[in-house]
Amino acid sequence: MNAPDFQDFQRAFGRHLRDPRLNPRPAGVPARRMAVYNELLFNNICGFLDSCFPVCRATLGEKKWRRLNRSFFRDWPSHTPWFREIPREFVRYLSESTIKQPLPVWLAELAHYEWVELAVDIMDCPPPSHNSKGNLLIGQPVLNPTLMNLSYQWPVHKIGPAYRPRKPQASCLLVYRDIYDKVQFVASNPVTARLLELLKNNTLTGRAACLEIAMELQHPAPEALVSHGLSILEQLRQQGIILGTQA
Amino acid sequence: MPQHQIPRPASGAGLGFRRELIEPLKAGVPSEISFFELAPENWAGMGGKSAKDLRHFTERYPFVCHGLSLSLGGIAPLDENLLRRTKSFMAEHGMTLYTEHLSWCADDSHLYDLLPIPLTENAVKWTVDRIKRAQDILGMRIGIENASYYVAPPGAEMNEAEFISSIVREADCLLHLDVNNIYVNSQNFNFDPLDFMAALPLERTCYVHVAGHFVEPDGLLIDTHGAEVIDPVWSLLETAYQQIGNVPTCLERDFNMPDLNALSAEVRQIAHLQSALDKPKRKIA
Repeated sequence: MNAPDFQDFQRAFGRHLRDPRLNPRPAGVPARRMAVYNELLFNNICGFLDSCFPVCRATLGEKKWRRLNRSFFRDWPSHTPWFREIPREFVRYLSESTIKQPLPVWLAELAHYEWVELAVDIMDCPPPSHNSKGNLLIGQPVLNPTLMNLSYQWPVHKIGPAYRPRKPQASCLLVYRDIYDKVQFVASNPVTARLLELLKNNTLTGRAACLEIAMELQHPAPEALVSHGLSILEQLRQQGIILGTQA
Repeated sequence: MPQHQIPRPASGAGLGFRRELIEPLKAGVPSEISFFELAPENWAGMGGKSAKDLRHFTERYPFVCHGLSLSLGGIAPLDENLLRRTKSFMAEHGMTLYTEHLSWCADDSHLYDLLPIPLTENAVKWTVDRIKRAQDILGMRIGIENASYYVAPPGAEMNEAEFISSIVREADCLLHLDVNNIYVNSQNFNFDPLDFMAALPLERTCYVHVAGHFVEPDGLLIDTHGAEVIDPVWSLLETAYQQIGNVPTCLERDFNMPDLNALSAEVRQIAHLQSALDKPKRKIA
């Protein structure tokens, strides 16, 4: 079937809403009335972005931020019906699109970091069954399912209007929801990040994961690393990042 | 597998469920509020504190599911995943009624707001097919809401009441009557709200909305849900009740949120108009 004629109007309307500068408003639509929609729709998008990305907004400044909001609305086709995923679409836009506007090199990472808080806060993943007192070396550690084990090239947690880094500085962060459903941010390091990565699939015992790291590091005394690893694992359990061992 | 709840159909007067209301509502739900309404797009598939808060209330009150993103008159293929997810979300929380706007919000991708459908025969057919498919997936009739709009798409082949009536009849769906939208449109497009309402298939009404709006300096009305309900809209609601009887009715308030007391005063006004229906109109001396 050919596209029904009424859709020509819808397409023209949509094109104008996304990019009013380049696309005239559809024939027969009064300017005053079209302006209502232009304002409503763009403000709506800005509202979602403003509430998720306050640091990006403050750091870029209002004018550049709005320009970026507009190019997102204009250039990035969002297919999600869930409003909470609009910020995720924005993060994808920043990391996957070619954007003409000159932007700080760290902006995509900063936006990702700001989005993570929302993502972890609402992530729908009931805790798997586990033995909270299990031995973390002998057993297979069970991770908090809300955990995001993050590595950035830039010190995203420090960036703001008063700090715009010029040189990359790798930073590892752990973000997760604690037992009170509060989002927690914890500074991490490459070894802890690798350990959690190895434990993600619930196939390795704590000991096997530590030995794997010892091998990767070509560590001269693997057993010493295992005992150091145990103290890391216990601390992660205390923080609620590791829930326990497989029941 | 989330636990399913017993179905709880809504009745009486209700209020839009919003995050900023959760704490005051936990302190005590005003007695005039008999049910709540939410948008599945804001709540389905959420975990954490939001999910627990929602569960707390759906275990105690009926909820109505009022969609925003289905784009019934839109170009992009009907979002069947959204419908399936909504269906299980409704079962998880014992919801029995789903309504959506008679509008579109996506061409090839989402625009995230409600836009007017051209009033043509082809648009009727297109929308009817999508409503039927939605009803098949949800396994129930859905209500379609008369929307507010600021542009009348050119090339109309019928008036809006005829458009709505044809769709309700051909899709065999229900009507979700929004009296504030009728009022806003009647002012912005210069027609009589009572005549318009009378031409709708009111016998199919499953649900009613009442809300406030904003008046721009040049007199244009904007359907913001950000102000108190005005008297002409209350009066439209009263007239509607004469025709449709006591149908569950929700107060929508999305911006400039007042405190819960002020909101419940407006919900009480709905309940008051509903209770007047159950009483004999006049005693003959």
